Amino acid sequence: MKSKKYSEALLNLFKKKGFKVKEFENIIESKIIIERSGEIFKKSLLSFEDDNGKNFSLRPDLTISACLDYIKNVKKGVHKYAYFDQAYRRTFNKESLVRNQLGCEIIGSAKLQLNSEIINLIDESLKKLTKNKTTIKLNDINIFYSLVDSLKLPSRWRLRLKRHFWRPEYFSELMLRLSSNSDIQKNVFELDKKSYFKMKKLNQNSMIAGRKISEILSRFQKKIKEPRSQINGKRVARIVNDFLKINCSFKNAKNELRKFEEKNNLNLKLNNFDIFNLRFKNDDIYFSSNIGRNAEYYTGLVFEIYKKSKSLNLASGGRYDNLMQTLGASKKIPAIGGAINYDNLLKL
Amino acid sequence: MTKLIKIGLPSKGRLKENSLSVLRKNKLSIKNSSRNYLSKINNFYPNEIIFSHAREIIERLADNSLDIGISGYDLLKESLPGIQKNIQIISRLKFGLAELVVAVPDIWIDVQTIADLEEISFEFKDRNVGKLRVATKYPNLSNEFLLSKGLNQYKIVNSLGSTEVYPFTGQSEIVTDITSTGETLKANKLRVLKDGIILKSSACILVSKKSLRNKYLKNKINQLLKKIKL
Repeated sequence: MKSKKYSEALLNLFKKKGFKVKEFENIIESKIIIERSGEIFKKSLLSFEDDNGKNFSLRPDLTISACLDYIKNVKKGVHKYAYFDQAYRRTFNKESLVRNQLGCEIIGSAKLQLNSEIINLIDESLKKLTKNKTTIKLNDINIFYSLVDSLKLPSRWRLRLKRHFWRPEYFSELMLRLSSNSDIQKNVFELDKKSYFKMKKLNQNSMIAGRKISEILSRFQKKIKEPRSQINGKRVARIVNDFLKINCSFKNAKNELRKFEEKNNLNLKLNNFDIFNLRFKNDDIYFSSNIGRNAEYYTGLVFEIYKKSKSLNLASGGRYDNLMQTLGASKKIPAIGGAINYDNLLKL
Repeated sequence: MTKLIKIGLPSKGRLKENSLSVLRKNKLSIKNSSRNYLSKINNFYPNEIIFSHAREIIERLADNSLDIGISGYDLLKESLPGIQKNIQIISRLKFGLAELVVAVPDIWIDVQTIADLEEISFEFKDRNVGKLRVATKYPNLSNEFLLSKGLNQYKIVNSLGSTEVYPFTGQSEIVTDITSTGETLKANKLRVLKDGIILKSSACILVSKKSLRNKYLKNKINQLLKKIKL
C-alpha cells in the first residue's frame, strides 16, 4: 500500500511539472548494451537467444530504456520522461533479480537551469511526500577531469585516471600503482627496442591483429618519451586522494577548491564550471568530490539526496550528455535524470 | 544393495595416462582400459571407472553422477559457481601443470602489461572498429581476470580450439589460452603479458559433495583416498 501511495504521488508531482509518464518495452536487443558497455555489463543481463541467433535481454535499467524510447519514437526536441516500473539484472541482490525503479529524465536539452530544476523537483517531491528534511550532495565530474589535466603525468596515465574514475575499487589500485612500480619492464624493453628498428623497415600500413605497424611504433615511442617518475607518482597519488576527500558546504565549495589549488600549486580552471552558479530551494547542500562514481555514463553534474538525520540515500542522478549517442543516436543529445532509491523510501 | 563407487577419469591424452599411473603406482589394479570407456579397479570395493572428457567430469561430479574424479583445476574454476559449490577439491596433483595466460601478438612491442592492453582497447573503441576481441576457451575466468585488471572495453570470442591462430586470421586481436611450456604460443608468434597469468592449474582429485553426505560413499571415498599416496 505504502509503495503504491508513494509511486502514484511522485508520478503525479512529476506530471504537474510537465513530465510524461511512460511505460517502456520489456525487451531490448543485447547488442545495444554490450556494444556500449562491453563484457562488464553482459554478465548482469538476463538474456535469451531467438531462433535466428539474435540475443535479447530484459531491460536492465530504465534510464537506458528512456534513451532508447527517445531515439526510436521522439527523435528531436526536449522530452520529459517519468516512470515507475521494473528493471531486471543479475546484480541487484541475492534475493531478487528485479528492482522497482522510479525516476525522471529530461532528454534533448543542455540548459543550465534544467540541472537545478530536476534536483529541486526530486528534492521538493521527496520532502512533500515523506515530511522529512533532506540534504543534497553535489559534484561536477569535470572538476576531477580538470584536476587530472593539471597534474604532471604522462598523457596515458591521465586518460587512465579519467576512464576509471567511476570504478572506485579499481581506481584505488591505480593510485597504488601510480605511487609504486614502473610502466616499463627493462629487459623486455631492450628486446623490443631491437624489434622496433626491424619493424621500422616494414610496410607501415600493414596490419597485425587489427593494428597498423605505424600505430604500434608510434605508441612504443610515446611510452619511451613519457617515463613516469616514482617520486612524482607518489605526489600525484596524494593530491588525487586529497581531492577526493573534499566535502564541504556548497556555499564554500569554490573557496575550498581554491585553497586546494593554492596548496598544491594547481589550476583547476574553476571559473569554467557553472555548478557554482546553480541555485536551489534547499539550503542544506554540500559539495562532495567523491560522488557520482557509480555510473560510467555521467558527464557533468551529479547529485545525491539523503534523509537529513539518518544519511539514508533517497535519490541520485546526474547529467549524461554522451549516453544517447553511444546507444545509437546519430548525434550528441544532452540529457539529465534522477532516480528515486525506492527501497530506502519505503523504509521511512 | 552395495552401491557402486563411480570414478571419473580423463578419457584421453597425458591426463588419462598420468591419472592411471597415479592409481597403478598405489597398487590399485585397473582392468585393461585402452579402448573401453568403462573400466574398474579390481582390488577395491565395487566400483566403476568412467572415462570422460575432463570438462564433463566436473559437470558429472556436480550433478552427482560421479562420486570422485580427476580433472583440471582450470576447468573447475571455469565452471559456473553453481557447479563449483557442489565439488570439493581433495588435492592438487603434480601433473597437468599449466597456466592460463593472456597473450598478444609478439609484434605488439608497445604492449607489456594489461594496463597497456586497456589503452589499446580504448583505441579500438575510439576508432569505432568495434571492441578488442579476446579469443578463449575460458570465457568466465578471462572475464573475471580482465575486469579485475581494469579492462572492460573488449568482447569475448568463444573458441573451441587452435585459439593461437585467431589473432592472425582476423578472428580476434588477442587470446587467453592454457600453456604448459609456452612453446606453442611462441611458435604462433604470441607472447604472454608481464602481469598476464590468470591461473596456475594442475590436475586435481575432486569429490562430489553430495557423495560426502552419504555415509557409505564417504567411507569408501576416504578409503580410496587413503590408498592414493601422492
